[in-house]
Amino acid sequence: MSEPAKDRRKERLDRGIKVRTDGIYAISHWTEIAYLLTPRLLFIVGLLLAPVILIPFPYWQRVLSIVCIFALLAISFDFLANYVGLVSLGGALYMGVGGYSAALLNSHFGLPPLVTVPVSTVLGGAICTVLLLPCLPLRGVYFAIVSLMFPLLAGRIIEALDVFGGTDGIMGVDGFSSGWVEQYVLICSVLAAVFILRRMVSEDVGLVFTGVKDNDQAVKASGINITTYKAFGVFISSMLGCLGGACLAHIYMWAGISQFALDFSIIPIAATVVGGGGTLIGSVIGCIILVPISEFLRDFGTLRIAVYAIILTAFIVFKSEGIMMYGTRKYEQFERWVRI
Amino acid sequence: MFEARGLMVFYENMLALNNVSLTCGKDRIIGVFGANSAGKSTLMYTLSGIMSDIRTKEEMAGGERITIRGQVIFEGQDISELKPSKRARAGIILCPERRRIFPESTVMENLMIGAYLANSRQTSETLDYVLRIFSPLVRISKRLGGFLSGGEQQMLAIGRALMAQPKLLLLDEPLLGLSPIIQYMLAKSIKEIRDERGTSIIVSEQYARPIMPIIDYGYILENGSAVVDGTNRELMDNPDVKSAYFGS
Repeated sequence: MSEPAKDRRKERLDRGIKVRTDGIYAISHWTEIAYLLTPRLLFIVGLLLAPVILIPFPYWQRVLSIVCIFALLAISFDFLANYVGLVSLGGALYMGVGGYSAALLNSHFGLPPLVTVPVSTVLGGAICTVLLLPCLPLRGVYFAIVSLMFPLLAGRIIEALDVFGGTDGIMGVDGFSSGWVEQYVLICSVLAAVFILRRMVSEDVGLVFTGVKDNDQAVKASGINITTYKAFGVFISSMLGCLGGACLAHIYMWAGISQFALDFSIIPIAATVVGGGGTLIGSVIGCIILVPISEFLRDFGTLRIAVYAIILTAFIVFKSEGIMMYGTRKYEQFERWVRI
Repeated sequence: MFEARGLMVFYENMLALNNVSLTCGKDRIIGVFGANSAGKSTLMYTLSGIMSDIRTKEEMAGGERITIRGQVIFEGQDISELKPSKRARAGIILCPERRRIFPESTVMENLMIGAYLANSRQTSETLDYVLRIFSPLVRISKRLGGFLSGGEQQMLAIGRALMAQPKLLLLDEPLLGLSPIIQYMLAKSIKEIRDERGTSIIVSEQYARPIMPIIDYGYILENGSAVVDGTNRELMDNPDVKSAYFGS
C-alpha cells in the first residue's frame, strides 16, 4: 500500500447500482437484474457444469465429490458457529454417524442409496442432536472440546466393542448407480443447503439464532427457550454433516472408523476461515480452493501438511476477512481519494 | 507539555473527530465534555494511541477503514506515529472507559500489573499513596476485581493507572454509572492527585457538574468538533454550556 498524502484519504462508497438494487426497484432494468443475478448464477451454473467440464479427468470428478462433502461440513460449521454461536468441532461425528447409518441401512435392510441417503440424513441428524443435547448449555471452547471428544469416543467404542464390523468397518455397501448420480446428488445438496440456509438466517428464526449468538441472556429475557433453538441449530447442522457422511459411505462403498477422523472436523473450519465466516457461500468457496490444493500437494509427499499449513497461515495473516467478504466489498463498493 | 493539533478521525466515511486541537500544560487538569457520540472516547483513544491499534485490527478483519490525521506532541516530540505501548513508556497512561479491571486478579494484583513500568522504589511509594487516597481498597485488597462495586472498580482503575507512573493521565469517563456521592468523592481525589503528585490530567466526562469545578481549562465537544473552550469560570458562565450541562 502506498503511503497516502497527508491531506487525502481513501473513501469507500457503495456503487450506484448496489444502492438501486437494494430496493424492490431491482426489477426495473435488465442491468440491475443482471447485477444481482450474475454472481449467483455464476456460482450455481459453475457448480452444475463442473462435472461435465471434468469429463476428461475422471480423477478430478471424484475430487469434486469430496469437495462437495467438505463443503456440506463447512456450511454446517459456518452456520453453527457464526449464526447460532456454537463452535463445533463435531464434523467428524456427523460424518461418522451419517456414514455408519447409511451403510447399516444399505447392508442390513437392502435399501438403495437414494433412500438411505435422505433417511440417514434425518436419522443421523436426530442421533447427533440427542448426543449433543446435554452439552448445549456449554458455550465457546467448552462446547468445542465436548464436540471434539464425541468422534474420538465413537471411534474407540466401535473398535473396543467390535460392533458394526469393528476395525474392518462395514464392507459391501452399494455404490451410487453412476458417477453422475453421485456428483449431482452432492452438488444439488450443496446448492440447496446454501440457498435454504441463506434464506433461513434472514427470516425470524434466523434472527433468534443471531440473538442467541450475540446475547443469550437477552433472548432468554424475551421469553424464548434458547436450548430449543440451539438444539434446532445443531439438528440442521448435523443433518448437513450426516448427508455428507452418507454420501461418502456410498462413494467408497465402505463405512469405517476413519470416517470419524479429525480431518472432517478441521478442514471445514480452515475452509470457512479462507472463504469468509458468516457468509455460507464463502465456506463452499473455501472448500473449492482448499480440497483441490491438498490434492495437488500430494506431490510433496510428507511435506504436504507443512505446505498446507503455510498457505493457511498466510491466508489468516494477510486476508483474515476471507475471500467472500473481500469479493463482496469489491463488487458492491468503489474507492476514491478525497481531500480532507 | 502536551499538545494535539488538528486531530481528525474517520470511521469509514463518518467523521468522528473534526479538527480538534487541545493543549495541556504541566500540572493542569483539562476537561473534555460532550454527550454520547460527541467523540470523547475517540479523542482519548487517539491521544493514547489505542486508535492506531484499533485501525490495524479493523484492517486485518476487513472491517471499517479508520483514518487518523493530525499531530500529537508530548514534551516537544511528535508522537503521532508512536505505538500505545511506547506512549505509555513515555508517560501517557490511559485509564479506559468502563474501567477494564482484570476480573480474575485480586485488587492487589491489579495494582501490581499497573506497576509494570515502575521500579521497586516507585512501586512501593505509589502503592502507599494509592491505598491512602483510595482507602476503601485496603480492606478489599484480597478480593477479585470482578466482584467489586462500580465505585471500588473505578478507584482501582485510577489506582492502577497511577502505578504506571504517569506524567499525563488520561481518564475516560471516570464517573460512568456511579452515584453522585461517589462522583464528588472521585472528583476530589482527581484534584488531589494533580495537587500532590504533579500529574497532568485530561478527563473526559458527560457529567460536567462534579468535574467542572476542578478543571483548569475545558473543551466542549459536539459531533466531533470542539465548539467551545475556556477556563472553568468561562465555561460555567457560558449560557449554552449552562443550559446544556447545568440545567439552568
